[in-house]
Amino acid sequence: MLEATYACVARYGMAKTTVEDVAREARVSRATVYRYFPGGRDQLIADTVAWEMGRFFGRLADAVATAPDLPTLLVEGLMYAHRAVEEHEVLQKVLQTEPDRLLPSMTVAANRVLVLIRGFLVPYLEQQPLREGVTVEEASDYLARMVLSFIGTQGATDLTDRSTVESLVRREFLAGLV
Amino acid sequence: MAPTTLSDTPLVTRVVDAALRCIARWGVAKTTLDDVAREAGCSRATVYRAFPGGKDGLLDAVARTELNRFFDRLGRTLDDALDLEDLLVSGITEANRALTSHEALQFLLRHEPEVVLPNLTFHRAELVLGAVAAFATPYLTPHVGADQAGSLAEWVARLVLSYTLCPSEVHDLSSPDDVRRLVRTFVLPGLQSTSKPPSLSKQGA
Repeated sequence: MLEATYACVARYGMAKTTVEDVAREARVSRATVYRYFPGGRDQLIADTVAWEMGRFFGRLADAVATAPDLPTLLVEGLMYAHRAVEEHEVLQKVLQTEPDRLLPSMTVAANRVLVLIRGFLVPYLEQQPLREGVTVEEASDYLARMVLSFIGTQGATDLTDRSTVESLVRREFLAGLV
Repeated sequence: MAPTTLSDTPLVTRVVDAALRCIARWGVAKTTLDDVAREAGCSRATVYRAFPGGKDGLLDAVARTELNRFFDRLGRTLDDALDLEDLLVSGITEANRALTSHEALQFLLRHEPEVVLPNLTFHRAELVLGAVAAFATPYLTPHVGADQAGSLAEWVARLVLSYTLCPSEVHDLSSPDDVRRLVRTFVLPGLQSTSKPPSLSKQGA
């Protein structure tokens, strides 16, 4: 049903996607949809957003799984994520046409995403000698926020250029840690 | 500040402030021009005349006015800073304070996030980062040089946005001690600080 909702949003947009559309796409009855999503259309959409965000970060995790160390992890993660966001057709379409529907649920999910990213970074931080006095907890919080910020908004840095990203990571991400 | 098409007469300011009070109470969708006129203590006709663009025109004026006020206050805070660390700590602290204590903004973030968030995320956030960079660069240049000032401003703007929209248990931006720790631990080490004017040979930031 989540896949079906995603497909409908891709086709019709968020505002126009109805429970009927989703039921038809998923080949289930409306009653079934409501049974699993008693909050109806709004819950269906919110859960689908959370689900696709989870998939996005899953794909990101896979892409950087072989990174040997923290700097490489961050550089490759930023480059992959930037490209993935730019090339995410459904996301870009919704951002252009109806951002007011998408962003509130994404921002609520942002806290969960930060926790997710932190969890991913912690093992790398633990195997990395850190500067005296810097805790893994504060480093993971800081790095997760920086990663999420750059994924969403490139700013003045060209995230398609590897040496630019390496310099960025050295200065703004890791200068205080290593 | 660039001149605005709508001159900020006392009347405009009064109506804008009345609108802010209404929004802090009821949000944007439920606030009508009549509500604002009543709150401002002037006639509907006066308000409609001052804002021929209607509610949208009024909301634009509100946003513009509050942005100007935000940067004015921030500028005054930064004027008093003694050194780079002080500049960054007081700038971040003041920005966070201004955002978290802004009643209308907080109401919207809580109850009508769709009004504010599109302007603070993804592509629109580029504009926010750019505006902050333009504002902060003159303050930062004497400390870090022209090359680094813009990117440092953007960097700090990112931190303010992140820690303000998604408060952290690790660094509480309302605590100057936490902010100082954040700046000392993560930001200052990433800079090549110069205490002379930016006419040095490039060191490759």
